[in-house]
Amino acid sequence: MRDQHLTKDALAIILGGGQGERLYPLTRDRAKPAVPFGGTYRIIDFTLSNCINSGIRRVYVLTQYKSISLDRHLRLAWDRFNEEVGEFVVPIPPQQRIGERWYLGTADAIYQNIYTLEQERPKYVVILAGDHLYKMNYLEMLQFHVAKGAEITVACVEVPLADGNRFGVLSADDNLRIRGFDEKPANPKPMPGHSDLCLASMGIYIFETRTLVRLVTEDAKRDSAHDFGKSILPSVMNERPVFAYPFKDENRKAMKYWRDIGTLDAYYQANMDLISVDPEFNLYDQGWPIRTYQRQSPPAKFVFDERGGRIGIATNSIVSNGCIVAGGHVSRSVLSPGVQVEGYSEVEDSIIMDNVHISHDCRIRRAIVDKEVIIPPHSRVGYDLESDRKKFTVTESGIVVIPKGVPPSEEFWHS
Amino acid sequence: MAKILVVEDDPNQRLLYEEELKNDGYEVVTARDGREALEMVDKARPDLVVMDISMPGMDGIESMSRMLSQDHKLPIILNTAYATYKESFRAWSADAYVVKSSDLTELKSTIKRVLGAR
Repeated sequence: MRDQHLTKDALAIILGGGQGERLYPLTRDRAKPAVPFGGTYRIIDFTLSNCINSGIRRVYVLTQYKSISLDRHLRLAWDRFNEEVGEFVVPIPPQQRIGERWYLGTADAIYQNIYTLEQERPKYVVILAGDHLYKMNYLEMLQFHVAKGAEITVACVEVPLADGNRFGVLSADDNLRIRGFDEKPANPKPMPGHSDLCLASMGIYIFETRTLVRLVTEDAKRDSAHDFGKSILPSVMNERPVFAYPFKDENRKAMKYWRDIGTLDAYYQANMDLISVDPEFNLYDQGWPIRTYQRQSPPAKFVFDERGGRIGIATNSIVSNGCIVAGGHVSRSVLSPGVQVEGYSEVEDSIIMDNVHISHDCRIRRAIVDKEVIIPPHSRVGYDLESDRKKFTVTESGIVVIPKGVPPSEEFWHS
Repeated sequence: MAKILVVEDDPNQRLLYEEELKNDGYEVVTARDGREALEMVDKARPDLVVMDISMPGMDGIESMSRMLSQDHKLPIILNTAYATYKESFRAWSADAYVVKSSDLTELKSTIKRVLGAR
């Protein structure tokens, strides 16, 4: 690989500490980066795979809230590297070296881990979010950073102007030097020549390490939101060379694919992006493999083929190992490992997580069912949202979310 | 006049700083190590801290980090015989870094500058 020294000189820090309130109840018992995705993955696997596929072998994941399941996943899936040769993927829980408190913002998270940077002394720090879905080669971004003589490089992507108020919106000159930065502006500035698009920060940064330390240290002494987008970038872009790196998508589709899994509806839609014949987000590209942990389990099985009766079948779906579709019909859905669907049941447009048991004669549509839920016979989900709303979270677009631990009794489900 | 906390383990140097700064009109309180300095910040509420780094017990960088977590705007000057700490990222939290000398001119002008900037 060209410029291998660049990735050797780089350390990635993945911010994995967000509470993920808007993904509740999926984040009731786990940090957002640990939310299961696409059958066998966790959301953080995509960013970690990008690191490895880019040649970055030093990765810290800053954890915080509800980190047990994230820690376990990192141990099982990503503890593959050898610290002896300077390669690692390691979670860092808050050390409280500097303050006896949670991280106040993204910049404070780095400030509180300065000791770690001092130990590793990388030349570049790549700061990444643990809850984004995309394929990106960070080596190319490092090459851009060096070629531009940047102290800070911000990855950016075009988004519809109407969505600009959810992002940090940039403006850059012809040389891609950033000249304007507005965090979540009410009236985002359109891109030159594209009145319907604006340039959004992806929350992905490369810093010269010394610049990073200097800036977060100064920021810690100010009353601010202690956040890169809100507090630091707007104030430094005139004093230091800060450049915008246009996202180059390794997904290789007509439309660039980058999703911030911010809401339950966004989470649902991103899962659905995996299942079509020509999926918007491709998990099957051997050129950009996505790694995860998969426990040993038998292959998926489809049984019963009674013409005019029970037929076990799945179409336009992802079905993971250990699933048994026993006379049920699954369509346009994502099934995690160990799911069982019994006779005469129908599952449509749904995300079903590990070891969920769907008994006979159920109708489930437009639902997200969290791990281990047992759904008793004759249950209906997604057909009467008023009734569903009494028991479950129902999203704006009408997706019913069934959390872990709901009772398996018919009284509960049929009330 | 401003109140300065001098943190210094060497008794002779501590006395020297105390006398010189008092002569310049500052109110001076002292501490012998990083932990005592934390107590003194609570008790005496200084306007500025002059902090040695290498001390027995809690060192100056650790003590500074803890002070800043309580009051992120407290002005702190690191005052050490060694220039090597200057490369320590954690030392960058200080408002200034002065290498010790028997001539206190640089320290005094730095104190004036840091207090003036507030």
